[in-house]
Amino acid sequence: MLIRPAADDLRTIGSALGRILLVVAAASLIPTAWAVAGREWNPLGSFLLMGSVFVLLGVTLLRVSLAPRSTISTDQRHLDWSHGMVVVALTWLIVPLVGSIPFVLSGHYASILDAYFDAMSGLTTTGLALVQDLDHLASSLNFWRHLLHFLGGQGIIIAALLLFGGRGMVTLYRGEGREDQLLPSVRSTARAIWAIAAIHLVVGVVALGGVAWFVLGFSWQRSLFHGLMIFFAAFDTGGFAPQSTSLGYYHSAIFESVTAVLMVAGALSFAFHFRLWSGVNRAWMPATARFKARITRRFSGTADVEEFSFDDWRPGDRRTDGTLSLFRNLETRSILATFIATMVFTMVGLAALGIYTSVAGLSRQGFFQVLSAHTGTGFATVPSSELVQWTGLAFGGMAIAMALGGMASSTAGGVKALRVGLTVRAIANEVKGDLLPEGALVGTGYYQFGRRRLTPEVARSAMVVSLLFVALFLVGTGVAIGYGVPLGEALFESVSAGASVGLSVGVTSPTMPVLLKLTYIVQMYLGRLEFVAVFALIGFAYSMVRGR
Amino acid sequence: MRVRVIIGVAVMVGAMFASSSPVQAVTVSVVELLADGESFSGQEVTVVGELVGDYGFRSDGRVWTQLNSDSYAIRPIVEGGPLRGSNIGLGIRMPADVVQDLDPPGRYRLVGPVVSVTGVWRYHDAQRQGESFLDVTSVVVQAPGRDLAEHPNWGVYAGALAFAAIAGVATVGYIRERDTK
Repeated sequence: MLIRPAADDLRTIGSALGRILLVVAAASLIPTAWAVAGREWNPLGSFLLMGSVFVLLGVTLLRVSLAPRSTISTDQRHLDWSHGMVVVALTWLIVPLVGSIPFVLSGHYASILDAYFDAMSGLTTTGLALVQDLDHLASSLNFWRHLLHFLGGQGIIIAALLLFGGRGMVTLYRGEGREDQLLPSVRSTARAIWAIAAIHLVVGVVALGGVAWFVLGFSWQRSLFHGLMIFFAAFDTGGFAPQSTSLGYYHSAIFESVTAVLMVAGALSFAFHFRLWSGVNRAWMPATARFKARITRRFSGTADVEEFSFDDWRPGDRRTDGTLSLFRNLETRSILATFIATMVFTMVGLAALGIYTSVAGLSRQGFFQVLSAHTGTGFATVPSSELVQWTGLAFGGMAIAMALGGMASSTAGGVKALRVGLTVRAIANEVKGDLLPEGALVGTGYYQFGRRRLTPEVARSAMVVSLLFVALFLVGTGVAIGYGVPLGEALFESVSAGASVGLSVGVTSPTMPVLLKLTYIVQMYLGRLEFVAVFALIGFAYSMVRGR
Repeated sequence: MRVRVIIGVAVMVGAMFASSSPVQAVTVSVVELLADGESFSGQEVTVVGELVGDYGFRSDGRVWTQLNSDSYAIRPIVEGGPLRGSNIGLGIRMPADVVQDLDPPGRYRLVGPVVSVTGVWRYHDAQRQGESFLDVTSVVVQAPGRDLAEHPNWGVYAGALAFAAIAGVATVGYIRERDTK
């Protein structure tokens, strides 16, 4: 029997959602300050309006959650799995809606839908854009576009966790498609993720800004501006750029190289970053983790300690070299294999097409575009009118690279390397089982931060999500074909939207049909949240209507 | 306003048909160059458009910037110009001494100089690892850059003020209610 959610369920969801919206309201103060500093008065008004709406929505939800008849007090109330998923799914619908207010008021968008499209694209770190006359857009609005990448990539939820923490918040964390828990509590994990991002922010902006100033010869203010914008878009694998010609604007191999490093960093999981930095295999790491767990238990009760697990640190790990052990991971091997394969595909395809006459040209342009596609960033150094000429194997390489995406729990989209690895391993095991004599044992182990078993449940889960992504890509392709877009271009654009990439062969434009815009918005939304949270929201809404 | 637009269009159209370059360069649009870059490869061409973004002064004495060939230089959005889609631009490289006399490139509230540039179209240039750009040899300013006046949108400020006031009252109400529970 379908159970209708109780009023307390709604209050629990409202309370969490309200807090998250207040976090976004606080974040909106940054572009507001930027507009003041830049004397951009009209954008300033729109940021003030947006911030006020966020505060009003957040406070209203919090106030509603304090309803007098509530049987559970706010402190006692905590999120269960479905609450968390619903909160995440609603957050990713509401934030772009309110966040698009400055875009609508800027006059650079043909409609509210176009502005919502860009806000969703920014938050989901996709990078497809419908903005018009970007080259004359106010710098504070440009900053807000890129800050949306940062909020979406690092996770609004993560920021809320950092500020509020609390029981059951782990479901919010998982709802954003994250699985790695780096430290004993979700709150300390959130802190670690933001610390990693903050260090990258400083290093990345200094590196990019330095290149822009010393090599490209920009003024220092503009160097800082370009460095910041490109950092947000690269590290969060977003793809927005401050100029209409994307990364081709800079005409610099050095600038592209620094950006490429940041794109790769963005496509790595936070667990990978964390272990790379902290040297997981040193003997002191488990000891440190135990110490932190003890401290947490001592000072904050047992609330978060129950979520702590030593599964990731197996005794066997200590015997291997720190950094090298990361390359034993199934996910690392999977992403390296698919990157090399798609790179070879694309390079051979480009060579066959004869688009580039020099090896250096083929290597630089081919490498950057494939890396941009595989990491889910979406930067391009060639215009879309040229990218559409990449047919045959080059097209196949690019499309597959986009669809597969980066690592799980990273800012990249797509099927994700771990699922690809698990799916291939499961299929290989099946084939082995068929070929070997009856009764022969087939190894089901794999290495991912420790030895793990590939159970049927794990394999099924990986395959189901992979199939859902394929279905998502096909639906978008079908809609575009329905409007007369050629198959290849329709598939490319659909994969780009669904896998949160942002590369375009020109289909995405302000003049495309409304239904196609809506389709891409849904694809970006579903692809970023990896379906589960959205399905939970649909189920919740259905049970509210049909439940008893 | 309308007179200025007509003059602007006339200047750009005139420059398209009658190039001021001493050599007979082919006059093309940015759209044509991007759509069929290979057929113009190595040819001397003339393109008209607005300089936007930055002037990047490189150590080799050249300057890189972007040239847009769209309607926004003539009728900017800030001045009520219509939306005509995304910008259509390409990278250009020019000698640094040419840039000294140019107005700042176009940005927010700033229209860059509209220029007629003549140079060699480098398509997938091997020396620049496959980049495509216009290697400019001569620049003729068709229209100088200009600042744009933006009129404050008081309606937005009024809306923001109203929402802020309501949000403030709601916040105070929430805090009081929470503290009494």
